Amino acid sequence: MKQLIQGNQAIFLGAQKAGAFFYSGYPITPASEIMHAFANSDVNFIQAEDEIAAISLCIGASLGGAKSMTATSGPGFSLQQESIGYAHVAEIPLVIVNSQRIGPSTGMPTIAAQQDIMQTKYGSHGDYFPIVFYPNSVEECYRYTIEAFNAAEESLSPVILLCDGYISHLYESIDTNIKVSLKKRDRKPLGQLNGQHFTGLTHESDGTLKTMDSEFYRKWIISMKDKINEVAKKYNFYEYIENKKSDTLLVGFGITSRVLMSLRDKYSIFRPIRMFPIVEDLKNISKKYKRVVVVEMNDGQYKTALAGFLGREIEGISLQGGELSTKDIVI
Amino acid sequence: MTKKATDYTKFIKTKKLPGLWCVGCSIPALLHQSAKAFLDLKFNNKNTVLISGIGCTGRIAGYFDLDSVHTIHGRVLPVAEGVKSANPKLNVVVISGDGDLISMGGNHLLNTSRRNPDITAICYNNEIYGLTGGQMSPETRKGNITITSPKGAMFNRLNVQGVLISNEKYFYGRTSIFDMDHLNKVIKSAIKHKGFSFVEVMGYCFESDGRRRGFKNVGEMVGALREKYKIVEGKRLLGENELGIVRK
Repeated sequence: MKQLIQGNQAIFLGAQKAGAFFYSGYPITPASEIMHAFANSDVNFIQAEDEIAAISLCIGASLGGAKSMTATSGPGFSLQQESIGYAHVAEIPLVIVNSQRIGPSTGMPTIAAQQDIMQTKYGSHGDYFPIVFYPNSVEECYRYTIEAFNAAEESLSPVILLCDGYISHLYESIDTNIKVSLKKRDRKPLGQLNGQHFTGLTHESDGTLKTMDSEFYRKWIISMKDKINEVAKKYNFYEYIENKKSDTLLVGFGITSRVLMSLRDKYSIFRPIRMFPIVEDLKNISKKYKRVVVVEMNDGQYKTALAGFLGREIEGISLQGGELSTKDIVI
Repeated sequence: MTKKATDYTKFIKTKKLPGLWCVGCSIPALLHQSAKAFLDLKFNNKNTVLISGIGCTGRIAGYFDLDSVHTIHGRVLPVAEGVKSANPKLNVVVISGDGDLISMGGNHLLNTSRRNPDITAICYNNEIYGLTGGQMSPETRKGNITITSPKGAMFNRLNVQGVLISNEKYFYGRTSIFDMDHLNKVIKSAIKHKGFSFVEVMGYCFESDGRRRGFKNVGEMVGALREKYKIVEGKRLLGENELGIVRK
């Protein structure tokens, strides 16, 4: 059955479908509607005193056995970075939604942007390898929220679901009756683990501290990277629209990709849905093109990431200020 | 030494003892007394969770033979509240220090106590940041020399009792490590209390504070605590030098 709903509501419905049992958040534009939906549902809900408390409550609830989510925007996401790093080290499944707006700081609360891309990959101190999804429609908000919960369970890590002020508030007609598998919570909750210790200090799998063992750390960091990459392979989400006549590949994601679609008659388009780890297939895809141009609503963040990943020159078009028009996309 | 079912050390990872604390530290005493309290209350290793934060006291979680969580600095109360929210059947106990619960965690102390979840927070208050070498904390007394107050601490202490009693319902217990019986009794009362309970355990840190302030040994610091504090009963409000329980 189809319903006309907005992106934020689709995120709530996706979380509900995935079996979310706990939500904590703090009011922030343009993500608040997600919290409102949870407040008015059967899901265990606590409005926290700040975003750090919100993610901490989610961490506790997750360890206690509940699939948990928090949703915020740039300022809150910045506050949550330490906790995100912690959840990677302590191996805590979690879904964090960041619906982006212009920053830094308070910025332009009601104007969309894509300025937190690098922060999803490098926001916390330390080396870690986050899984990040970014839908571009209300249907994808629903679908990839479910997949974010799945990936979080499989990787025992905090998965980021990026969004933006446009997609969050976009109304589209979607059918929530889609075929998607749900990953059950595998790891037992606190109380059933036999003296298991969870910590942000470098540790062995039973929680024994290894804070002075450099050799152990070198092995551990590689195992963390491998763990994430193995899981990410199962979530290889992207869209590639080939235009055989084009020597230029446009790269776009989120709301920007909706605008790029109108250029498919002239150019090939690559749309990552999994932003990080960067999709491996892009290496082969991009080889065919003389030019790769990333069109994004920031100062060139994903362009920088791809230039490093692909080891070639990448061009960028920055669409800032929240206005999206093909007249500004001059290839 | 074999562990008996009635032996409180069933709650302690005894193989890890004596633990990382300095010789003369009384945090291990808190570890043992808490475990004794769990035994007295007939807790078991499956229905009790121990959560601690960052600091010397914060290391305590890893020494309990319970599922335990060592959180990031200051965020131990919302993590504990989250655990309890997901599984209300668990006994959730927090043990952390004055820096973790009162400074970095100050906002959460206000709001977790306000929301009143059924968890117990035990604050080992040695009035210093011990693990990092002896910087002043919000509980350092005016005039005390610390690394970050070389001319003497200049601010008033945070009134922890005041914060707790500002709530509609509260349990605030103040005890100390110089009296193990009182410590045990207050911990048990706090855990039995339905709702948020906060126990302030007045302690000391000889290595990162005592030495700098001129104490000759641990015994002198414990003696100072013993001289300063008096156990009282049935009061509505504890005086600055009083140990006891206030509740509503």
